[in-house]
Amino acid sequence: MRNWAENASAKINTIVEAIVAALMLALVLDVWLGVMDRYYFHWQLPWPEVLARYLMIWAAMLAVSSGVARRDHIGLTAFIMALPYKLRRGVLICMDILALALFLYVAWFGISFAQSGAPRHAMIFGASLAPFYAAIPVAALLSSIQLILVLLRDMGTHIDKPPFADHLEEELS
Amino acid sequence: MIVAICFVALVLFGMPIGFAIGLAGVVGLIDMGGTQFLQIGPSKIFNGLNIFPFLAMPFFILAGEIMNDIGITSRLVKLAQVLVGRFRGGLAHTNMLASVFFAGLTGSATADAAAFGRTLVPAMVKEGYDRDYACAVTAAGSIIGPTIPPSGLMVVYGSLMGVSIAGLFAAGVLPGLVICLVCMAVIAIGGKREKLPKAMRGASPREIWDTFVSSLTALAMPVIILGGILGGIVTPTEAASIAVAYALFIGIFVYRTLTFKGFYGMLVRTARIMGVIFVIIAFAGILGWWMSFERIPQLIAETVLGLSDNRYAVIAIIICLLLVVGMVMDITAILIILAPVLVPLTEQVGLEPIHAGIIFVLALNISLMTPPVGACLFVLSSVTGEKLERISIKLFPFLIAEIAILFAFAFWEDAALWLPRLLGYAQ
Repeated sequence: MRNWAENASAKINTIVEAIVAALMLALVLDVWLGVMDRYYFHWQLPWPEVLARYLMIWAAMLAVSSGVARRDHIGLTAFIMALPYKLRRGVLICMDILALALFLYVAWFGISFAQSGAPRHAMIFGASLAPFYAAIPVAALLSSIQLILVLLRDMGTHIDKPPFADHLEEELS
Repeated sequence: MIVAICFVALVLFGMPIGFAIGLAGVVGLIDMGGTQFLQIGPSKIFNGLNIFPFLAMPFFILAGEIMNDIGITSRLVKLAQVLVGRFRGGLAHTNMLASVFFAGLTGSATADAAAFGRTLVPAMVKEGYDRDYACAVTAAGSIIGPTIPPSGLMVVYGSLMGVSIAGLFAAGVLPGLVICLVCMAVIAIGGKREKLPKAMRGASPREIWDTFVSSLTALAMPVIILGGILGGIVTPTEAASIAVAYALFIGIFVYRTLTFKGFYGMLVRTARIMGVIFVIIAFAGILGWWMSFERIPQLIAETVLGLSDNRYAVIAIIICLLLVVGMVMDITAILIILAPVLVPLTEQVGLEPIHAGIIFVLALNISLMTPPVGACLFVLSSVTGEKLERISIKLFPFLIAEIAILFAFAFWEDAALWLPRLLGYAQ
């Protein structure tokens, strides 16, 4: 079960990271276009700035699930490390379940939020705001899925045996 | 009260700070009146992130990632070494000066600590420095990164509090340089006590010139960023995007070390760093809305002003609060939670918004190196294998010096606002 959860989490994360990289590239190109427009072309395009904000929100929110998969979102460990090992594992499992409840809440109410954007229009070729608002429920749902998978993968051991510790070493070097 | 208890309990039990903020906010919404308030959560998350100046942050992070990857760090260290390496404790001085050069590229203390922890700390140990001292010097210098612009923390503060980011950038230059000079003085004063090694020989003028020329591409980056922003030519977001273009140009056409695979990794890493920061900002949207609904900032302001309405006392209370909370909490989270609460206080005692901003940023930057959860200490400890408490002991003189600098700039408004006033960002 643990191996299955680990593999599933890694596979989903690989796909999400590829999408995030594509969004980041689009963000870079979009802001460059805005700069060139302002200082060189003078087309006075109204949409690069708006699109940049929405691309940033999509990229950052999707990256939240990547952070969940890699346990990048850190908290205070001094107190929890003072607890006995078994109790610590139990508490950390409870924390994962509470975090899951938070993301499920955001995903559930985020759906009606995204729907509320349908009749409203962004300043990007008259497009509906729904696809941009959808970043919130989609990212929350992905984070919920990743939280279930990493909960099964780590079972409260992630502070004692941090996953991706080797990768972190490589990145720092 | 229940929201505060919930937040503290979750943080103590190891819940990531961003998630703890979100859950505390949801508890606040339920406490206010149930499901009708729960519906507004996602819109608060979206609106909390839908702020254009935030865009500067990913671009500065990406530019720093590229410059780091293509080998700029080693050139800047070499330049610092030929300039100040000849003195007793030459590599310690080099570490400090290189932090100033590095600050203009990344604006991140942890990036500085990680890069120098890998390169300069082993070099210092090899030359006879104690490892805990080498780590302490690196930690003390690392906070120059987010003090001298660009600075991610200034972008967040300026965006959230409606203060000119360019003005904050201008206000960060002088404190950053003063931190460098004072820390170099601390190194020089403690040189004999710490038995710091002397350099064998100084660099020749020719060597200094050659190293300067080979570092020009790196040194041009802060000039482009700061010159563009402070000169009023481009916005911080535009300057950040130009910095990315410049870094890519150098990586592809000058150094020819940048690969597609490497760039892909940088885009993903940048997004992941953004994700960690933005989840805090996103969930703080809910908690912040609950706090304003319950008039928490006004209540805290009234309580503090009830203790004293003296300008200096209020500044001291704010600084002490930030330093104490900074010992146990992530600095972005502190900024997002406490700035809306404490800034009204600074307004009431007549503090210029940019001056208040630089006090916040300096205090929180110092928190990056205070135990038990100073991020730079953690990075250095994990990168070098040195014990956190040993680094903390050696760090003490630097910490005292930097807190003294913070109070000096907090109480001496003319010094804090000298450059912003000169450039027309402050009255």
